[in-house]
Amino acid sequence: MPETSRLFHIVRIAFAVIGAGVVLFLFLNHSEQLDTPLMDYFTADFFAQTGAQNSVAAIYLNYRVFDTLFEALMLMVSVMEVINVSWANKHAEQYKFEKDDFNRKNNSEIVIRMVGIIYPFVLLIGLYIIINGHVSPGGGFQGGAVLATALITRYLVYPNFDLDLHTLEKLEKFLFLSIVMTPVLYVFMQLQPADTTLSHQIYMVTMNSLIGLKVFSGLSIIFYRFVFYEGR
Amino acid sequence: MKPLDFITGEIVGILLFFIGLYGLMTKKTIVKTIMSMSIMESGIFLFYITINYTDGSVPPIGQAQEAAFVDPVPSALMITAIVIGTGVTAIGLTMFMHYKQKHGITHWSRNRNQTGSEH
Repeated sequence: MPETSRLFHIVRIAFAVIGAGVVLFLFLNHSEQLDTPLMDYFTADFFAQTGAQNSVAAIYLNYRVFDTLFEALMLMVSVMEVINVSWANKHAEQYKFEKDDFNRKNNSEIVIRMVGIIYPFVLLIGLYIIINGHVSPGGGFQGGAVLATALITRYLVYPNFDLDLHTLEKLEKFLFLSIVMTPVLYVFMQLQPADTTLSHQIYMVTMNSLIGLKVFSGLSIIFYRFVFYEGR
Repeated sequence: MKPLDFITGEIVGILLFFIGLYGLMTKKTIVKTIMSMSIMESGIFLFYITINYTDGSVPPIGQAQEAAFVDPVPSALMITAIVIGTGVTAIGLTMFMHYKQKHGITHWSRNRNQTGSEH
C-alpha cells in the first residue's frame, strides 16, 4: 500500500511539473499577439462618454457595470453564508463571550499607542480613495478594503465584541439594493438630464461611495465573524 | 537575454498557478486545499494584471496622449475578481469549520483519527 501511494505522489508531482513546463513552453514560443479592440474602444473617448478621468473606473462603473452588480451580489451571498452556515449559530451555549475581558495584557503597548495615532489617517485615506476614485487611482473596492483595515486595527486595540453585526448586514443588503438600482436607472434606462457633465460626476461619486461602504461592511462582517465565532 | 528578463509577471503567474495545483493534488489537509486555491487565484491575478504591457506606457488616467495607455480591461476585471476571491476563501473556511465541528474530520480521508499537517 505505501508503494502505490508513493507512486501516486510521484505521478502527481510529475503531472504538475510537466503541466507547468508545457504551458510555459507554449506561452513563450507560440503565443499569438491578438488585437485589442476592447482596449481601443474603452480608452478612445472614455472621459466624454462616462465623465470619469480614470479609465478603470469608467469600465467598471459604466461600460461593464454588470460585472460590478454581480460582484456585489457574490460578496453579499458569501457574507450571508458566513453568518448563516455557522456552527456557532446552533450551539451558542459553547460560544459565550467573555464580557469584561479587555485582554490588554496580551497586546503590545507599542501597537496600541501607534494604532491609536494612525487610526484617523487610515480612515481619511480610505475616504479619499473612495471619493477621488474616478479622477485618480483608486475606487470603491480599494477604499472599502482600506476602511475595513481601519476596523481590523480597532480590533487590535479594543478586542471586544460590541458591534451589531445584524445592523451591518442589513446595511449591506440595503446598499446592494442601491447599487443595483442606481445603474439600472441611470445607465440602462438613461434617466439623465440633457447636459450630462455634472450628472456623470455625481453618478461616479455615488456609485464609488456605495461600493466602498458595501465592501467595507462585507469585509468587516467576515472578519468579526471569523474572530469571534469561528475561532473558538 | 539576461536571467532577470525571464522573470516577468506572466511567467511567475503561471508558476504560481501550478504550485497551487500541486498543492491541490497532493495535500490532504482541507485548510491546505483552501490555501492552494488562494495561491492559484493569486497566480491568475498576477497573470492578468501584467498581460499586454508594453514599455513606456502610462496609466490610463486623464486625457494626456503623449504615450500609449496601459490596457485597463484586465485591471477592471481583476478588481472584481479579488473581492470574489476573498468571498470564496471565507465560504471555504466557514464550511470547513462547520464540517470539523460536526464530524471531527480535518483531512480528505476516510480515517477519522488522522491528524497532523504533513499530508
